[in-house]
Amino acid sequence: MPREVEPSLNEKQFFVKALEENLRIDGRAFDQYRELDLEFGDELGVTDVRLGKTRIHTHITAEVTTPFPDRPFDGLFTITSELSPMTSPFFEPNRPSTTEILLSRLLEKTLRRSGALDTESLCLIAGQKCWSIRADVHVLSHDGNLVDAACIGVLAALQHFRKPDTSTEGESVTVYTLAEREPVPLSLLHFPYCVTFSYYSSTVEEGETVTLLDATLLEEQLREGSATIGINRHGEVCQIAKLGGVPLDAVAFLGCVQIALVKVKEISVFVSKRLEEEAKKRDKGGLMAELSAENDRVS
Amino acid sequence: MTNATASSAILSHLHRADGSATFSQNGYTVIGAVNGPIEVQRRDELPVEAAIDVIVRPAAGVGGTRERHLESILQSTLRQIILIHNFPRTLIQVTLQITNTPEDKVAGSKIVQASSHLAILPTLLQTALLALLSASMPLSVIFTSVLIAAHKDGAITSLTPNPSLVGFESADSVHVLAFTLEGKLLLAESQGTFTLDDWDNILEMAGSVCVPKDGADIEGGVRIEETKEDMTTFVKCTLEAKVAQDLHWYT
Repeated sequence: MPREVEPSLNEKQFFVKALEENLRIDGRAFDQYRELDLEFGDELGVTDVRLGKTRIHTHITAEVTTPFPDRPFDGLFTITSELSPMTSPFFEPNRPSTTEILLSRLLEKTLRRSGALDTESLCLIAGQKCWSIRADVHVLSHDGNLVDAACIGVLAALQHFRKPDTSTEGESVTVYTLAEREPVPLSLLHFPYCVTFSYYSSTVEEGETVTLLDATLLEEQLREGSATIGINRHGEVCQIAKLGGVPLDAVAFLGCVQIALVKVKEISVFVSKRLEEEAKKRDKGGLMAELSAENDRVS
Repeated sequence: MTNATASSAILSHLHRADGSATFSQNGYTVIGAVNGPIEVQRRDELPVEAAIDVIVRPAAGVGGTRERHLESILQSTLRQIILIHNFPRTLIQVTLQITNTPEDKVAGSKIVQASSHLAILPTLLQTALLALLSASMPLSVIFTSVLIAAHKDGAITSLTPNPSLVGFESADSVHVLAFTLEGKLLLAESQGTFTLDDWDNILEMAGSVCVPKDGADIEGGVRIEETKEDMTTFVKCTLEAKVAQDLHWYT
């Protein structure tokens, strides 16, 4: 495979000069996200997220399997994010690149380890049968900030997805098809979104660090440090990943968490608005409320 | 779902790939990207021609033997039409990502996965072709493909081009045929039991779906007002629209 092309000296100098004048190449403010677009597929649990030129397709599927023997009451939830040469020819199939490893690790930390999906609700018969929920993240086009976009994609898809309804009688489980019973949504406990910050220090004057949000590919290639904060809209930090790079002031970093909270609130509002629009589109003749076999949650 | 057999295509919509296309037909949607000619690994390098690498990725799950088999069919078909001798010791990489398969409301999703690999083959072939065209890859000829399901009813065999999922599952035999623009057979994959007479009928029907009925207007370009059902016209119209859009600045 060819090696990824690094930005040329000219590009780099232009970028640095612009940054000194408080400008980004695409004219955005330092803390501004690119235009976010969220589309849903024909099937349930299929989303297509566009963040500028970054485009991520997420597909959720469910099947019945046996739970792990050491966790008999938990269902399975796996996220796969394999980058294909479609993303860019520099990714080789079946050989994970650093980008791919980081993406899957961060998604794993933010969504799985924070307990966004209630895996206990996926249990059908303890130790014997459970649902296995699988999220396939397909990166179609890579223009930076894959983690944030993938996180939005997976969470929106999980909220959009409906698993087939089941009933349990003693030891036997009946899985109803879509024609027999209206499928039920997944039980999601909270929605942690990721916000990635990129840091540039040596490019500007001494002792000052410039922080950018939602970096494009060029900005990602030129950055000297980055931190990903996984946070939900209630301000609960689920994970912070700062893997090397320039050292940061602790107080400044707390400021980043505050910025992340503001951004996550915006993203949450956007995703729920799009989900509502989609639900209205799917609600044929306003019968969805009656068709639903789901019990109202007591909270 | 909308009209099941209607085809639609979008060209050059991914910004990092050299060429890309999304093609939907028969409830299947495939996104294709082509990169090339690019540097090839030493072990894959061919001294006098370009190596072609086809990657088929399913919508859910990782690719298995089914995807590898589809890849080998696609690879040998695309080898015939790309001018591989123009690019010795390089690689042409075709990535095909399946994003949508027709859903079966009665059966679970697993059964669709397990059924024949042939159902998606025409969509994959057509996406690959459109992506190659979008990448401006020199081709010797373009092709079109069709899926035909044959149902036996006593002595009579009825043929359905581009059948629905139910039609496909209940068929006695299914066939995928690809024709070049001149009407020459490029690929024939069959599954199931059928007789030689059936095969002749299938060949004839596939030809009428894939290739324009009168060979006369191949030279003269496309006449839009003539809305024929064949795939060649579809490919031409898609490309014409794309070129017109790209050259809108040019008087």
